[in-house]
Amino acid sequence: MDLSRVTFLTLAALATVSAFRVVTASKIMHAALWLGFTFLMVAGVFLTMGAEFLAAAQVLIYVGAVTTIILFGIMLSEAAEVRGGRDPVAPTTPKGPAIIRRFILPIVATLAFAAIMIFVYSQAPWPDASAAPAGDTVRLLGSALFTDYVVPFELAAVLLLVALVGAIAIAVRDDHKEEQG
Amino acid sequence: MTDWLWGLFQQWGLGEPAFNAFMGLIKGVLVVAFLAVNALLLIYLERKVSGYIQNRLGPTRTGPKGLLQTLADAVKLLSKEDVIPSGADRAVYILAPIVIFAAATALWIVIPFGPQTMVQDLNIGLIYISAVTGLSVLAFLMAGWSSNNKWSLLGSMRSAAQLISYEVPLVLSIVAVGMMAGSLRLGDIVAAQQGGIGNWFIFPQILGFIVFFTAGLAEINRAPFDLPEAESELVAGFNTEYSGFRWGVFFVAEYANLVAFSALAATFFFGGPTGPVLPPFVWFLIKTYFFILVAMWIRWTLPRIRVDHLMNLGWYVLIPLALINLGWTGLYVVLRG
Repeated sequence: MDLSRVTFLTLAALATVSAFRVVTASKIMHAALWLGFTFLMVAGVFLTMGAEFLAAAQVLIYVGAVTTIILFGIMLSEAAEVRGGRDPVAPTTPKGPAIIRRFILPIVATLAFAAIMIFVYSQAPWPDASAAPAGDTVRLLGSALFTDYVVPFELAAVLLLVALVGAIAIAVRDDHKEEQG
Repeated sequence: MTDWLWGLFQQWGLGEPAFNAFMGLIKGVLVVAFLAVNALLLIYLERKVSGYIQNRLGPTRTGPKGLLQTLADAVKLLSKEDVIPSGADRAVYILAPIVIFAAATALWIVIPFGPQTMVQDLNIGLIYISAVTGLSVLAFLMAGWSSNNKWSLLGSMRSAAQLISYEVPLVLSIVAVGMMAGSLRLGDIVAAQQGGIGNWFIFPQILGFIVFFTAGLAEINRAPFDLPEAESELVAGFNTEYSGFRWGVFFVAEYANLVAFSALAATFFFGGPTGPVLPPFVWFLIKTYFFILVAMWIRWTLPRIRVDHLMNLGWYVLIPLALINLGWTGLYVVLRG
């Protein structure tokens, strides 16, 4: 095993373990932090593949922005079960129909999803791994974005702008309600 | 020196990965040592500068001219009891200073000490800087949340709001620098400004520099933007519950960020570590310390601004200015040919 393979396996294992911790952590704050760690490890995987720009963008957007916004949301939340703290919701043993809702349905959904994914992975014609473009990948990426892919790029930008305006509109409307009530 | 070491490694039958790992370790130790020495010096300097501005002497007793005062304080901090509040989220509480120190140190990978002297001249340098500075928000939130203290929580929420707001103009002003140099690599940015003061980016980028400097001060939580730890209202903000060594780590990270920010201001707009006669490293220190002194001057002159003013300044003044600067830079680059 060469060094790059060891690095990849270490990062992948850490990403998987922390992703597992995201769903099993009892405090939602810890889950969010594990999520940030997962993103960081995935950025590391991108680095081992020579995709520096993607790795930096991953850290910038997912670790720096998305995780921060999630943490911010948890802190601003009023609900005790979201915030955790002194008296977290005690886990109760479900009875009756709740067993179906909380144990059987999730397992069925997970197995179905796993089956679909395995089917897709086994059937899909994977393209041969082309050699990573040598040299200044950022420059190549930039020129590709603004020549061949300029329409999708601009469409994505407009979509984000619409989402931004929409979010502000919703937030402002809530403010008015509070003032009137 | 590098060749000699490489020869030694080959003699011992060790391959290139081992050599690279060893070199990386050496560079990392050098950077951390540089940061530690600078933090010691800067704390002394800050006391002396604030003393001068407030017409008093500053530390004079410990050592010649009070030079050993910081060292004495460091020994005091290290020998203090390690207190973790009883309601604290232990793991997160312990991790927070480590994360902030890691983020502060990681920034130094791309900072040029000389035209070609840096730990690693990444081809994504500018994006890397934006990404790493964003990580410190996470550490503030971790520290504030895990302390289980309302002042800490308020301080960390403020810091998150502040850092998110000021990261936008900061990144926009950095983008303009990248446009000027035609590269995201810090080595290229330094190279593009060589050959006299006329080539420095400060002249076409004066607006960008103002945005960068203001947003940068906010990003490193320096007064007048030190709202996350506003001691008159929040006790000590996000690090209220921290004491001893852990508090010291926050403090060192803060000064490491101050040095990094000053070094980046010098690199982006003032030609970086280049100049006549003197070696590059000396120029690096001269330019960096100039901006450190300016930051200290601002800190001890201006009062802390109010939290809503801070937000307004970011969103209504700095971001429009940064956008105007971006448009102007595009025009300039096209006209320059």
